[in-house]
Amino acid sequence: MYKISKLAELRKLVHGMERSLGLQDLSPVERDLYYAASELFEDDRQVRTVGLIEHSLLTDVSRPTFFRALRSLVSKGYLSQCASANRGCYVVNQPKF
Amino acid sequence: MPVRTGRMHEFLLETTIASSVYFLTVAFTFLIVIPVQNILFPEYPSRASLLFLPHGVRVLSAWLMGWRAIPALLPGVIAAFVYVAGWDAFLPSRLAAMVVAVSVAPVTFFALRAAGWNLFPAAGRSPCWICILVVGAITSVLTSALTNLAFGTSAVEFVAYLIGDMSGLFFGLLALIYLFRFVDRPR
Repeated sequence: MYKISKLAELRKLVHGMERSLGLQDLSPVERDLYYAASELFEDDRQVRTVGLIEHSLLTDVSRPTFFRALRSLVSKGYLSQCASANRGCYVVNQPKF
Repeated sequence: MPVRTGRMHEFLLETTIASSVYFLTVAFTFLIVIPVQNILFPEYPSRASLLFLPHGVRVLSAWLMGWRAIPALLPGVIAAFVYVAGWDAFLPSRLAAMVVAVSVAPVTFFALRAAGWNLFPAAGRSPCWICILVVGAITSVLTSALTNLAFGTSAVEFVAYLIGDMSGLFFGLLALIYLFRFVDRPR
Protein backbone atom coordinates (compact mmCIF):
# COMPACT_ATOMS: atom_id res chain seq x y z
CA MET A 1 0.00 0.00 0.00
CA TYR A 2 1.37 3.39 -0.90
CA LYS A 3 1.93 5.99 1.72
CA ILE A 4 -0.84 8.51 2.12
CA SER A 5 0.29 12.07 2.59
CA LYS A 6 -1.10 13.54 5.79
CA LEU A 7 -1.20 16.99 4.29
CA ALA A 8 -3.18 15.69 1.30
CA GLU A 9 -5.64 13.99 3.66
CA LEU A 10 -6.05 17.17 5.68
CA ARG A 11 -6.64 19.11 2.48
CA LYS A 12 -9.24 16.59 1.34
CA LEU A 13 -11.00 16.88 4.70
CA VAL A 14 -11.23 20.66 4.62
CA HIS A 15 -12.10 20.50 0.94
CA GLY A 16 -15.14 18.40 1.84
CA MET A 17 -16.11 20.96 4.46
CA GLU A 18 -15.56 23.79 2.01
CA ARG A 19 -17.87 22.15 -0.50
CA SER A 20 -20.53 21.37 2.09
CA LEU A 21 -20.55 24.95 3.33
CA GLY A 22 -20.54 26.35 -0.22
CA LEU A 23 -17.34 28.30 0.37
CA GLN A 24 -15.32 27.18 -2.63
CA ASP A 25 -14.11 29.68 -5.24
CA LEU A 26 -13.73 26.90 -7.79
CA SER A 27 -16.61 24.77 -9.00
CA PRO A 28 -16.79 21.32 -7.40
CA VAL A 29 -15.48 19.66 -10.58
CA GLU A 30 -12.66 22.19 -10.95
CA ARG A 31 -11.58 21.63 -7.36
CA ASP A 32 -11.78 17.83 -7.66
CA LEU A 33 -9.73 18.06 -10.82
CA TYR A 34 -7.16 20.29 -9.17
CA TYR A 35 -6.83 17.99 -6.15
CA ALA A 36 -6.59 14.95 -8.41
CA ALA A 37 -3.83 16.69 -10.36
CA SER A 38 -2.07 17.63 -7.10
CA GLU A 39 -2.18 13.99 -6.05
CA LEU A 40 -1.01 12.56 -9.36
CA PHE A 41 1.78 14.84 -10.47
CA GLU A 42 5.34 13.52 -10.67
CA ASP A 43 8.62 15.23 -9.76
CA ASP A 44 8.32 17.53 -12.78
CA ARG A 45 4.79 18.56 -11.58
CA GLN A 46 3.31 17.26 -14.82
CA VAL A 47 0.11 15.25 -15.14
CA ARG A 48 -1.53 13.67 -18.13
CA THR A 49 -5.19 13.99 -19.02
CA VAL A 50 -5.49 10.21 -19.26
CA GLY A 51 -4.47 9.79 -15.62
CA LEU A 52 -6.77 12.57 -14.47
CA ILE A 53 -9.84 11.17 -16.19
CA GLU A 54 -9.31 7.85 -14.45
CA HIS A 55 -8.86 9.38 -10.98
CA SER A 56 -11.45 8.23 -8.40
CA LEU A 57 -12.55 11.83 -7.71
CA LEU A 58 -13.48 12.28 -11.39
CA THR A 59 -14.99 8.99 -12.46
CA ASP A 60 -18.55 10.37 -12.36
CA VAL A 61 -17.70 13.50 -14.37
CA SER A 62 -18.72 13.56 -18.02
CA ARG A 63 -16.07 14.20 -20.69
CA PRO A 64 -17.43 17.63 -21.73
CA THR A 65 -17.58 18.79 -18.08
CA PHE A 66 -14.10 17.43 -17.44
CA PHE A 67 -12.57 19.31 -20.36
CA ARG A 68 -14.52 22.48 -19.55
CA ALA A 69 -13.14 22.35 -15.99
CA LEU A 70 -9.65 21.68 -17.34
CA ARG A 71 -9.81 24.77 -19.57
CA SER A 72 -11.15 26.82 -16.68
CA LEU A 73 -8.28 25.76 -14.40
CA VAL A 74 -5.79 26.70 -17.10
CA SER A 75 -7.43 30.11 -17.53
CA LYS A 76 -7.40 30.66 -13.74
CA GLY A 77 -3.73 29.70 -13.54
CA TYR A 78 -4.08 26.58 -11.43
CA LEU A 79 -2.81 24.44 -14.34
CA SER A 80 -0.79 25.29 -17.41
CA GLN A 81 0.01 23.38 -20.55
CA CYS A 82 3.40 21.67 -20.69
CA ALA A 83 6.12 23.68 -22.41
CA SER A 84 6.86 20.73 -24.67
CA ALA A 85 3.51 21.37 -26.41
CA ASN A 86 2.70 17.78 -25.62
CA ARG A 87 -1.09 17.44 -25.94
CA GLY A 88 -2.83 16.17 -22.87
CA CYS A 89 0.02 17.24 -20.58
CA TYR A 90 -0.44 19.85 -17.85
CA VAL A 91 1.79 21.39 -15.19
CA VAL A 92 0.27 21.74 -11.72
CA ASN A 93 1.21 25.20 -10.54
CA GLN A 94 2.94 25.10 -7.20
CA PRO A 95 1.22 26.71 -4.27
CA LYS A 96 3.22 29.35 -2.45
CA PHE A 97 4.57 28.11 0.87
CA MET B 1 18.05 7.71 3.40
CA PRO B 2 17.76 4.45 5.40
CA VAL B 3 14.18 3.45 6.29
CA ARG B 4 14.69 3.73 10.05
CA THR B 5 16.33 7.16 9.79
CA GLY B 6 13.56 8.30 7.47
CA ARG B 7 10.88 7.20 9.94
CA MET B 8 12.67 8.93 12.80
CA HIS B 9 12.93 12.09 10.70
CA GLU B 10 9.22 11.87 9.87
CA PHE B 11 8.32 11.32 13.52
CA LEU B 12 10.43 14.28 14.66
CA LEU B 13 8.83 16.45 12.00
CA GLU B 14 5.33 15.35 13.04
CA THR B 15 6.16 15.98 16.70
CA THR B 16 7.59 19.42 15.98
CA ILE B 17 4.58 20.47 13.91
CA ALA B 18 1.88 18.98 16.17
CA SER B 19 3.42 20.24 19.42
CA SER B 20 4.20 23.69 18.02
CA VAL B 21 0.69 24.14 16.64
CA TYR B 22 -0.79 22.90 19.92
CA PHE B 23 1.30 25.31 21.99
CA LEU B 24 0.58 28.24 19.66
CA THR B 25 -3.16 27.62 19.80
CA VAL B 26 -3.01 27.46 23.61
CA ALA B 27 -1.06 30.73 23.68
CA PHE B 28 -3.60 32.28 21.26
CA THR B 29 -6.42 31.13 23.54
CA PHE B 30 -4.94 32.66 26.68
CA LEU B 31 -3.50 35.81 25.11
CA ILE B 32 -6.33 36.71 22.71
CA VAL B 33 -9.51 34.65 23.05
CA ILE B 34 -10.02 34.75 26.82
CA PRO B 35 -9.26 38.48 27.23
CA VAL B 36 -11.68 39.27 24.37
CA GLN B 37 -14.24 36.91 25.88
CA ASN B 38 -13.92 38.66 29.24
CA ILE B 39 -14.62 42.00 27.56
CA LEU B 40 -17.57 40.73 25.49
CA PHE B 41 -19.15 38.52 28.17
CA PRO B 42 -18.06 39.97 31.53
CA GLU B 43 -20.92 38.22 33.36
CA TYR B 44 -19.95 34.80 31.97
CA PRO B 45 -19.24 32.72 35.12
CA SER B 46 -16.74 30.21 33.73
CA ARG B 47 -13.04 30.79 33.16
CA ALA B 48 -13.06 28.27 30.30
CA SER B 49 -12.53 29.53 26.76
CA LEU B 50 -15.56 29.51 24.46
CA LEU B 51 -13.20 28.98 21.51
CA PHE B 52 -10.63 26.33 22.36
CA LEU B 53 -8.59 25.68 19.20
CA PRO B 54 -6.23 23.14 20.85
CA HIS B 55 -9.09 20.64 20.85
CA GLY B 56 -9.11 20.79 17.06
CA VAL B 57 -5.35 20.16 17.04
CA ARG B 58 -5.80 17.10 19.29
CA VAL B 59 -8.61 15.62 17.20
CA LEU B 60 -6.97 16.23 13.82
CA SER B 61 -3.60 14.93 15.06
CA ALA B 62 -5.23 11.74 16.31
CA TRP B 63 -7.14 11.34 13.04
CA LEU B 64 -4.00 11.77 10.95
CA MET B 65 -1.42 10.03 13.15
CA GLY B 66 -3.32 7.50 15.24
CA TRP B 67 -1.33 6.41 18.30
CA ARG B 68 1.65 8.48 17.19
CA ALA B 69 -0.38 11.58 18.08
CA ILE B 70 0.29 10.82 21.76
CA PRO B 71 4.09 11.28 21.73
CA ALA B 72 3.75 13.91 18.98
CA LEU B 73 1.51 16.14 21.11
CA LEU B 74 3.08 15.43 24.49
CA PRO B 75 5.88 18.07 24.34
CA GLY B 76 3.36 20.71 23.27
CA VAL B 77 0.88 19.73 25.98
CA ILE B 78 3.57 19.79 28.69
CA ALA B 79 4.81 23.18 27.46
CA ALA B 80 1.23 24.50 27.41
CA PHE B 81 0.57 23.35 30.98
CA VAL B 82 3.84 24.93 32.17
CA TYR B 83 2.92 28.13 30.31
CA VAL B 84 -0.49 28.29 32.00
CA ALA B 85 0.23 26.86 35.46
CA GLY B 86 3.97 27.26 35.93
CA TRP B 87 5.66 24.47 37.90
CA ASP B 88 2.27 23.50 39.35
CA ALA B 89 1.84 21.80 35.98
CA PHE B 90 3.62 18.82 37.51
CA LEU B 91 1.08 18.34 40.31
CA PRO B 92 -0.57 14.89 40.10
CA SER B 93 -3.97 16.30 39.01
CA ARG B 94 -2.39 18.24 36.14
CA LEU B 95 -0.22 15.32 35.08
CA ALA B 96 -3.44 13.31 34.89
CA ALA B 97 -5.01 16.08 32.80
CA MET B 98 -2.01 15.96 30.42
CA VAL B 99 -2.47 12.23 29.94
CA VAL B 100 -6.17 12.83 29.23
CA ALA B 101 -5.39 15.65 26.80
CA VAL B 102 -3.07 13.55 24.62
CA SER B 103 -4.71 10.14 24.81
CA VAL B 104 -8.51 10.53 24.64
CA ALA B 105 -8.74 11.44 20.95
CA PRO B 106 -6.62 8.52 19.64
CA VAL B 107 -8.38 6.09 21.98
CA THR B 108 -11.75 7.33 20.69
CA PHE B 109 -10.75 6.88 17.04
CA PHE B 110 -9.45 3.36 17.68
CA ALA B 111 -12.49 2.44 19.79
CA LEU B 112 -14.78 3.60 16.98
CA ARG B 113 -12.75 1.61 14.47
CA ALA B 114 -13.07 -1.49 16.67
CA ALA B 115 -16.83 -0.84 16.72
CA GLY B 116 -16.88 -0.83 12.90
CA TRP B 117 -16.69 2.91 12.20
CA ASN B 118 -13.25 3.44 10.75
CA LEU B 119 -12.59 7.13 10.11
CA PHE B 120 -8.84 6.98 9.66
CA PRO B 121 -7.51 8.25 6.31
CA ALA B 122 -7.29 5.56 3.67
CA ALA B 123 -6.55 5.46 -0.04
CA GLY B 124 -9.68 5.87 -2.14
CA ARG B 125 -11.82 7.08 0.78
CA SER B 126 -13.06 10.64 1.05
CA PRO B 127 -12.62 12.02 4.56
CA CYS B 128 -15.90 12.88 6.32
CA TRP B 129 -15.59 16.20 8.11
CA ILE B 130 -18.94 15.91 9.87
CA CYS B 131 -17.82 12.53 11.24
CA ILE B 132 -14.68 14.23 12.56
CA LEU B 133 -16.89 16.82 14.28
CA VAL B 134 -18.90 13.98 15.84
CA VAL B 135 -15.69 12.39 17.12
CA GLY B 136 -14.68 15.83 18.35
CA ALA B 137 -17.91 16.00 20.38
CA ILE B 138 -17.42 12.52 21.82
CA THR B 139 -13.80 13.31 22.64
CA SER B 140 -14.79 16.59 24.23
CA VAL B 141 -17.35 14.94 26.51
CA LEU B 142 -14.85 12.26 27.54
CA THR B 143 -12.04 14.76 28.05
CA SER B 144 -14.28 17.08 30.06
CA ALA B 145 -15.56 14.22 32.21
CA LEU B 146 -12.07 12.88 32.89
CA THR B 147 -10.64 16.36 33.48
CA ASN B 148 -13.48 17.06 35.90
CA LEU B 149 -12.49 13.91 37.77
CA ALA B 150 -8.94 15.22 38.01
CA PHE B 151 -9.81 18.80 38.95
CA GLY B 152 -13.31 18.43 40.40
CA THR B 153 -14.77 21.31 38.36
CA SER B 154 -18.45 22.26 38.14
CA ALA B 155 -21.19 21.47 35.62
CA VAL B 156 -20.94 25.02 34.24
CA GLU B 157 -17.31 24.36 33.40
CA PHE B 158 -18.28 21.07 31.77
CA VAL B 159 -20.70 22.82 29.38
CA ALA B 160 -18.18 25.57 28.74
CA TYR B 161 -15.50 22.99 27.83
CA LEU B 162 -17.91 21.34 25.39
CA ILE B 163 -18.81 24.64 23.69
CA GLY B 164 -15.17 25.72 23.54
CA ASP B 165 -13.96 22.39 22.17
CA MET B 166 -16.62 22.14 19.47
CA SER B 167 -16.26 25.75 18.35
CA GLY B 168 -12.48 25.28 18.42
CA LEU B 169 -12.65 22.25 16.15
CA PHE B 170 -15.16 23.84 13.76
CA PHE B 171 -13.41 27.20 13.47
CA GLY B 172 -10.04 25.46 13.31
CA LEU B 173 -11.21 23.57 10.22
CA LEU B 174 -12.67 26.78 8.82
CA ALA B 175 -9.32 28.52 9.35
CA LEU B 176 -7.61 25.66 7.48
CA ILE B 177 -9.90 26.26 4.48
CA TYR B 178 -8.67 29.83 4.20
CA LEU B 179 -5.07 28.85 4.97
CA PHE B 180 -5.06 26.29 2.13
CA ARG B 181 -6.82 28.74 -0.16
CA PHE B 182 -4.08 31.28 0.60
CA VAL B 183 -1.22 28.85 -0.09
CA ASP B 184 -2.99 27.39 -3.16
CA ARG B 185 -3.51 30.71 -4.90
CA PRO B 186 -1.89 30.70 -8.35
CA ARG B 187 1.38 32.59 -8.70
